[in-house]
Amino acid sequence: MEDPEFPGEEQEAAFHPAPSWMERGCMLICEIGIVAMAIIVLVEIVTRNLFGFSFEASEELGGYIVVGISFLSLPVCQVYRSYHHVQFVQERLSPRMRAASHILFDVLSLGFCVLLVWQLSRFVLQSYHSEDVAMTLLATPLWIPQSVMPLGALAASVSLLRTLIGNVRKFLAAR
Amino acid sequence: MELAFQLIFSFGVFLLLLAAGMAVPFAIAVPGVLYLLMQHGLTALKGIGLVTWGSMNSFTLTAIPLFILMAELMQRSGLSFRIYRGLAKVVSRLPGGLLQTNIVGCALFASISGSSVATAASIGGVALPQLIQRHYDRRLSAGSLAAGGTLGILLPPSIAMIIYGSFTESSVAKLFMAGVIPGVMLMLMFMAYIAVRSFFGSAVPRGAPPDGISVLTAAADIVPFALLIGGIMGSIYAGWATPTEAASGGCAFALILCLIWGDLTWAHFVEAMHRTVQIVGNLLFIIYSAYVYAYAIGVAGVGESVTHWLIGLNLSHMQFFGALFVLYTVLGCLVESIGMIVITVPLIYPVLGNYGIDPIWFGVILVMYVELGQISPPIGINLFVIQSIWDGELSDVVMGTIPFHIIMFVLLFLLTAFPQLALWLPSQM
Repeated sequence: MEDPEFPGEEQEAAFHPAPSWMERGCMLICEIGIVAMAIIVLVEIVTRNLFGFSFEASEELGGYIVVGISFLSLPVCQVYRSYHHVQFVQERLSPRMRAASHILFDVLSLGFCVLLVWQLSRFVLQSYHSEDVAMTLLATPLWIPQSVMPLGALAASVSLLRTLIGNVRKFLAAR
Repeated sequence: MELAFQLIFSFGVFLLLLAAGMAVPFAIAVPGVLYLLMQHGLTALKGIGLVTWGSMNSFTLTAIPLFILMAELMQRSGLSFRIYRGLAKVVSRLPGGLLQTNIVGCALFASISGSSVATAASIGGVALPQLIQRHYDRRLSAGSLAAGGTLGILLPPSIAMIIYGSFTESSVAKLFMAGVIPGVMLMLMFMAYIAVRSFFGSAVPRGAPPDGISVLTAAADIVPFALLIGGIMGSIYAGWATPTEAASGGCAFALILCLIWGDLTWAHFVEAMHRTVQIVGNLLFIIYSAYVYAYAIGVAGVGESVTHWLIGLNLSHMQFFGALFVLYTVLGCLVESIGMIVITVPLIYPVLGNYGIDPIWFGVILVMYVELGQISPPIGINLFVIQSIWDGELSDVVMGTIPFHIIMFVLLFLLTAFPQLALWLPSQM
């Protein structure tokens, strides 16, 4: 198992897409989400223990934030190469074969993300039409937090497409 | 039989993609979707939306970003150096010198970080240059750091236990407590091994005896962390806070520590936030992919078939443990650590009740196997973390960890023979 920061991947970097406004924006939203989560939970601790009352929203909002981070971090992890890879086969491949294998992985991953966009959009539309709301004090219309899921998957698809183009260029250059 | 073939096929595709170098979460998700399509075609995909929302909208998972943020803040602001420096003054008089500091430093940092990689990287980055400079045995140095790093997922807070808890709906607080005694035992066993090696094996230098001032400065380095760890563990044990609340409070306290004792600048803070998002994103996507895979298994009814098959084998307790031992030892060499939990737990967890196995105890055992996987070639991530810091031969790191493997197997045996080692503390909550 090799972490992306570690040696062996420097030569790959030349063809890998640089972070765009989309990935940077997603990262910023995730960071704000994590800080907001910490603050919400802290406020809950303080009000419950010092003032004896609870907003009863921290669990609900915390769950929404986790969903948001899960999907909006997809393009971030893709472009910043944060996903773990097993390297022992890759290290033994020629540059051309390595590029070819990356193209295959990108196509499969892109297929998965496109499928997610399709299915998650369907799910959110269903939720919107049936006017689902959370069974909590906030009574949040569920399509609002749910809509982050297809948006994140769509952003991941764009990032994967950019990666795929980079890998095709790498494959051609390795000829 | 057809179901068994499909399961083996999809698992084979997973292993193939993983070994070939595909990103771990995609290597889990793609076979899951293929498996769904093999079962019922496109109609099987209709449940994905509900599965996605149901699995990821989880308050249990909120503890993960907060614990990782806490560790990243401390790592970026150089506090791992202070932990190591403080401990070196106190512990390095023990036989084994700074190698003992490695183990205790890893245990202490583990109690903050919840991650094995973060622990190995933080303490390894500080320790290895000093160990090399003082001519410590290279294999033992690298092995102690790679193995010491694994304490990060056994001692609470443990990201692996949060993930296990979210899959099995077990109490994360009880899982945390169940890891305390085995974690401390493992630390002591590692230290005992180093002491024995220093007596009978290669000579390892000892530190100078500490004077009054150096003890005081060491205390100033260590006490804030002891307070942080005590606050997190104490609040969970006493039932004052959930793991998420303890993590949130820990983040706030860690931020104060970093500002007062550390070297936290705005740039460090931003860097810590960036790394947190990347680590959390990777982890959450692995978890999500595993839910997709588990959904595919559920739709196919394979989970029930495997459960019935395992029950039908009428294994004795020891045979069942033996089978788990073989399964996880082999998987640990092949599958990424968190992937190992999320892929196998949905299949094995339903069987535990039939064999009278406590899910909390099983969580500890599973985490021990994950620890072993993290120092098992060819994909043990801690091996690569230490090698990358050290810039030495991977084979030396691997050889250095072998004695620690054996020690971990001994602890696994003890936990199997005496489950109360894990279960006593949670039973007191």
